[in-house]
This record gives sequence, C-alpha cells and structure tokens, in this order.
Amino acid sequence: MTLAFFSSRSLRTGVVVVTSLVLAGLGLRVVEAPAWEVVRSRQPSLRLESVKDALGQGVTVGLLGGFRAILADLFWIRTNYVWEKYDLPATQTSIKLVTAIDPRSPYFWLNGSRMIAYDMPNWRIDKAGGYDKVPDSVKRHFDEEQSAVAIRYLNEAFGFHPDSPMIRLEIANIYLNRLKDTETAATYYRRAAEHPDAPYYAARIYAELLRKMNRNAEAYDYLKQLYPKLPKEDLQASAQTVLGRIHELEDELSLPADQRFKP
Amino acid sequence: MSAVSVPFSFSRLALIASNTFLEAVRQRLFNFLLLLAVGLVASAQFFRDFNFGSSELKFIADFGFGALVFFGSALTITTTAQLFFSEIENRTALTLLAKPIWRAEFVFGKFVGVFAVIGVFCALTIGLMMALLWHREGQLMTIDPEAFASGRIVRYGDLFIVGVLQWLKFGVLSSIVLLIATFSNSNLYTVVTGFFALVICHLQYLARDSWSNVDNLMLRVLVQVLGLIFPNFQLFNLGDEIGQGAALDPLLAGRVAVYAVVYIAVIGGLAVYSFRNREI
Amino acid sequence: MNTPVPAISIKGLTKDFAVTLRGVKLRAVDDLSLTVEEGHVFGLLGPNGSGKSTTIKVILGLLGATAGDVRVFGVPSHEVESRRNVGYLPEAPYFYRYLSGYELVRFYARVCGVPRKQLQARVKDVVDWVGLSKAADRRVGTYSKGMLQRIGLAQALVHDPKLIVLDEPTAGVDPVGTAEMCELILKLKQQGKTVLITSHLLAQIEDVCDRVAILDHGKLIVEGSLQELVGQRDRQALIVDSLPPADIEALRGWLVSRGHALNAIEQPRARLDQLFLSKVSRGGHAGASGGVGSNVVPKSSAPNTSAPVAASPKPKA
Repeated sequence: MTLAFFSSRSLRTGVVVVTSLVLAGLGLRVVEAPAWEVVRSRQPSLRLESVKDALGQGVTVGLLGGFRAILADLFWIRTNYVWEKYDLPATQTSIKLVTAIDPRSPYFWLNGSRMIAYDMPNWRIDKAGGYDKVPDSVKRHFDEEQSAVAIRYLNEAFGFHPDSPMIRLEIANIYLNRLKDTETAATYYRRAAEHPDAPYYAARIYAELLRKMNRNAEAYDYLKQLYPKLPKEDLQASAQTVLGRIHELEDELSLPADQRFKP
Repeated sequence: MSAVSVPFSFSRLALIASNTFLEAVRQRLFNFLLLLAVGLVASAQFFRDFNFGSSELKFIADFGFGALVFFGSALTITTTAQLFFSEIENRTALTLLAKPIWRAEFVFGKFVGVFAVIGVFCALTIGLMMALLWHREGQLMTIDPEAFASGRIVRYGDLFIVGVLQWLKFGVLSSIVLLIATFSNSNLYTVVTGFFALVICHLQYLARDSWSNVDNLMLRVLVQVLGLIFPNFQLFNLGDEIGQGAALDPLLAGRVAVYAVVYIAVIGGLAVYSFRNREI
Repeated sequence: MNTPVPAISIKGLTKDFAVTLRGVKLRAVDDLSLTVEEGHVFGLLGPNGSGKSTTIKVILGLLGATAGDVRVFGVPSHEVESRRNVGYLPEAPYFYRYLSGYELVRFYARVCGVPRKQLQARVKDVVDWVGLSKAADRRVGTYSKGMLQRIGLAQALVHDPKLIVLDEPTAGVDPVGTAEMCELILKLKQQGKTVLITSHLLAQIEDVCDRVAILDHGKLIVEGSLQELVGQRDRQALIVDSLPPADIEALRGWLVSRGHALNAIEQPRARLDQLFLSKVSRGGHAGASGGVGSNVVPKSSAPNTSAPVAASPKPKA
C-alpha cells in the first residue's frame, strides 16, 4: 500500500489539513472573488459541443485547463496547412474550430473569413474546370455562396467583439469586393467609421461610395463633418486628401463661393 | 538538562535550499525540460513562414506562455517529488534529520530550493520569449510600420509580471506536491497525485460554475467544499490577453499574487505539520 | 553532589509499527530500559530485526516512541535540542553523491552550526583524521563502502559531539576497513566520547565495547560489561613455550600436588582477521590517505558547537 494514512495520527493530520485548506479557501475568497470575476469575464465560455467531436479528450482537458490560446494557434497552423492544399471542407472546418476554441483573437476571424470569401470561390472554380470553362453565372454563384458563409461567420464574431470596427470593415469589404453590393458595403463602412478605434480610411471609403452612388450632397456633408475631427499632423488621417475631396465635391455640386467649406 | 534550545535557523534553511537547488540543476530532468521549453519558445522562428504579420507576436507569446505553463508544471511536480524522495529513499534524510535541525527547516528548505529551480526555469523561458518578441517586433516595425503606428504593441513589463505570477502559481503547486509527499510513501504516487491535483486546480472552476445552482444541497455543499480545498489555478491565466497586447490591471495582479503567497504559506505550513509526525 | 546525567537514558521504550490498514501492529521494541553512561563505548547487539536500529532512531528523534521515555544528556529525544551533541553514522550510509568529500563534510558542519571562521580548518582536520584527505576532493558517488563509512564518520564528528551513534558501522566493510573503524572507535573512547554502536557481528565490536546489551525480538535479553558477561573468573590460561610430553606430565603432577587441575592443553592460534591484517597492506587502502589519522580526534575548544573550534588538533594528554 502506498499510503500510510489510516492510523489515528494520520487521520488527525488529514482532518487538520482539509479543515485548514477549507478555512484558507474561505478567507482567500476576499481576494479571489473580485480577481476571478475579472479573469472569468475575459474568458468566453467554451462551446464544447462544437469542438468535442473534432478534438480528443486530452485536447479538451487542455482547453479547459487554460491552454486555449496555444491550442488555437496550433489549429490555426493546421488551417494554414490544409489551406495550402486547397482542401475546402477541411479548411472551412478548421477555421471554425479555431474560433470555437479561442474566439478572443480578431486575427482568426478576419483571416478565416478572407480564406472563405476570397480563396474558396477560386478553388471551386478551379475544381469545376477553371476560369475559361466555368460560366460567369456559376462563378457568381460561387462568390455569393462563399461570401454568405464568410458573412455568417463574421456575424458570429460580433458575439465576442461587439464593437469591433475591423469586423465591420471586413464585412463591408466582402459586400463591396465580392458581392458588388455598394449600398450595404457603404452602411458597414459607416458603422465601422463611427467607432473611435476605426482606421481613418473607413470614413473616406464611405464618402467615396456615396459619391459612387451619386449621393454627392450626402458625401459632401459627411466629409465636412469629418474633416475637423481629423488630426492634421497624422499622415494616416490624410486630412489634406479629405479637404481636396471636399473641394472636388463643391465643384461637382457647383456651390457658390460663399457657401464653400472654409476650414 | 540543557537549558539552551535550538532556535529556528534561516541559515540552515538556506543551506538545505541551496543543496536542493544544486541537486536539482545537476539532474538531467531539469536540463531536459529546460531544453524542451527553450526549444518551444525558440521554434517561434517557424512562424515567419506563415506571414502572420503583427499577429506573429501573439503566436510567439502564446507559445512562450504555453511552454512555461506546460513544462513548468511538469518540472514543478517531478522536481518537488524527486528532491523530497531522494532524501528519503537514499536515506540522506536520516543523516540530516539526526542533526540539530527542525523539520520545518527541512521542509521549507526543500521548498525554497525547488522554488529557486523553478524561478530559474521561469526566468530563462520568459527572458528568452521577451528577447525573441523584442527582436521580432523590431523587425516587424520596419516591415509594417502602419501596424505599429503607436509604437511597440507588446507590453514587456506586463509580460514580466505575468511570468512572476506563473512562478508563484508553481510555488503553490510545489507546496501541494510537498504536502502530498509528506504523507506518501513513494515518489511515483506523489507525482501521479500531484498531476491529479494540478488538473483539479485547473478545472475546479468548472465544478463551481456548473454546480453552484444545483438543487441537491449535499451535492452543492460538496462541490463548494472541493472548490475551497483546491486553489483556483485559472486565476493565473492572464498570459493570453497579454499576448494580444492587452494591459494587465495592477490591482488584479496584486490580488493574484496575494492569493498565491497566502496559499504557499498555508500549504507549506500544513506540509510541515504533516512531516512533523512522519517516521523516517 | 549532583548525579551525573547519563548520555542516554531509555525507560520502558516500546515502539509499534502499523503493518496493515486494519490496525495490526508490529512491536519492534518492547519495554526496553537502558542507560549509557558518558564516556562509555556501548554495544547494542542482536540479530537482524531485533530492534537495534529502531532504538537508535528513537534516540535520534527520527521515530516517535509508542510508549516510554528516551533522553539524551537529559533532554527528551523528540526535542531538537537533544541532537545538539550527537553525531550519527547510519547503516550503509548514502550521501549526496554529487558533492565531494570536503563539500559533504562542510555541508553537515554548517548544518550543525560550526562557525564559519573555523569551518575550513575543522573540515580539513576531521577529514584527515578519518584518513580520507587524499580522496576528499573526489565526488562521494565514486567512494567505496569503506570510504563511505569513513566520510560518514567525519560528518558525524565534524561538530565535535559528545555522543557518537554508529549503526552497523562495519556492515559490508572488508576486514581492513573494519579494523580501521575499530581503531577509530577506540580513539574516540580515549577522547572521552560516548559511543553507542550496534552490530550483529559480535566479534567485531567485542574488542571495543565497555558494556553491551543484547536485544532479541525487541526485548532486552542481557546487559552488562564484557567481563561480567563473557569472562570466566574461576579459570585462567597460561601461555608458555612449546613443552615436551614429559614436562607436561611433570607440570600436571605439580598442579595436582598443589590442589589444582590442568583442564586443557591447546595450541594457541592467531585470529584469522589478525593474520589477514598482517598480510594485507593498509597503506593504500581504498584510496585513503594511508590509514587512519592521529590518535586524537580534532577537537573543538568547547563541546558546544556554538563555541569556537580549535584550528588544529591538539593531542590529549
């Protein structure tokens, strides 16, 4: 027998140990509870039902035990491996597995959706015979299907990143570049631009799309409101470019000199 | 009868600790695990092939913390058990405890020695990870200056603090293993039980979350008691956020540190209590 | 006048070990009472499993007594204080293999509180004294059994204890090593040290012990001085030159005429171990420095290790 535990002295020791640990646990709740509240809030609950079939028991315990980030990284590397092989079902499953394991990194959502929306239609076209042989209607169908998958996937991301401007921008890009839906794309660019952490180009693209949709007056008003908020010394903000656009719109709208924007 | 008593001596404790440290670093297991951890951190070079951009830094940090937590836990459990039982099984404890030393000096000396070994492990792993991150971040800043418009993304000070908190967590784990060792009769039993304790400490939050609203009062109390007996190791899981560039709340770090230090003291004290009655 | 405090006082010691979960116990020592006076070499004898090592462990506080009272220089053996003046050499000692002989003795010297200033000299002296100075820079892991015993003795003596406990010090050691160990014990005795020695090899310690106790199944069978226990007071042996038969007969007649009897005529023989030792070189034994050291244990200036220790050994008058 490995334990010499059952003599009365050992039993007494055991009782003292357990009682002391319970008391210590109770006493430490004062510091543990507020700290745990913060830590717990930063760890989205694991949707085990969506990953348990794809993972072994050991990996699941690892996930529960706090190795989510590194396991997600490892599955992301695996995603890259199957992506290089143009394996559509495996890549799509692997992308979803990664964000099911660790939805906290926007990087996985953004790059996963790009693989789905931009690469996979090409793989499907290749598989169907190549660009020369596949009719445009089929190509369009592939684009629409994959874009729908990608947008659904990105909408899931809002569950974990409700305010993320980057996810809105990614949806906007898909509407604009793959679905050629300027109206919806513009809406998403505007919503993205409303966020304080949004890149400056989101607002500029929104104004440009308004121009594209012949809503010049709307674009002009938007840029006039935008310009004063832009830091003039920050090259990324491109304040001079925005001012140039405002003047172009004034010309296009034939505004009289006294009504023109004066920064 | 002599009236002079032998007082508790920190110098004897330090002597036992330094001897334990020396023994540990001369063990192949330490070198092996250190090499594995360093290898895993250094394998971050491999991420360059994937062109992750600035997110490569998250991958380096995740792998660094992963190596630290995984190999650090293995090192803590095996080293604590091994260094304790090497004294018992090789009968060096007979000679040592027949000297005028307190058993508390022996137990805490062992703990401090192991804690120092784990400290070296943590320092090397975190140090290497930070050096890699700094170097790679510098390179990425020239490749993609837009992504680093507001300067460096990685918070190195926070990384260091999270490393220290991990070290403290290993201290709690080491004291648990030491407590098990004081009433266990074999190294193997201690190592296996130590790993079980590690898993329970990592997963006890699940039981607390899932069962806190259970109708059965007995079951609810049992789960609550288990949640109180085992420390909550998920509390130390702060590295994921830091790897993504999030800031570490100093109050949170302070609370976690207090939690660890108190547990080390309590469980260490219990190990002394249990070892006091052990027949050598 | 104060009664001198015995080095070891054991009264009614009983020690049980639990051997099954149902509470079945093995009685290793059964109501043992013994006293070891200061300055004596005391042999605790008995077959394997007789309770010798258990008794020693209780004396050293490594085991708790189930019943009874055990004191070392008047201090209860479970107190740390009781070990202040005790040096212990365990049976078949294992030490930290990665340390050199010097490092090992230095480590134990520091554990025992030998002051730093005298540490170096004290360690060197005691290593020289046990005859290991040439091998003291080697790692302990490379030592032979005899060398391990001697480095073990060095660590037991490094803080100049008043009581030295030797558990089976000659077990597994060759006759040369055994003889050297016996010489060392005799030197300790000359120093006025109290030595408690256990062995199941009776002849080996017969030459060094003042008193012996024999244990069997945990019980004290017999205790007393060697002379009391094995001396035949009503008989004497005369050793003379080889006599022709006629002279023997004449001697027998002379004895009878005076009322005595010639009981036996034997050819005296040297003991085999003495023959062995006379034939085997002891100079280069086991990588040691050439046999045991001086007659005097390097002695600290005061028995208590908290006091300064002499930098070099001083022969005792």
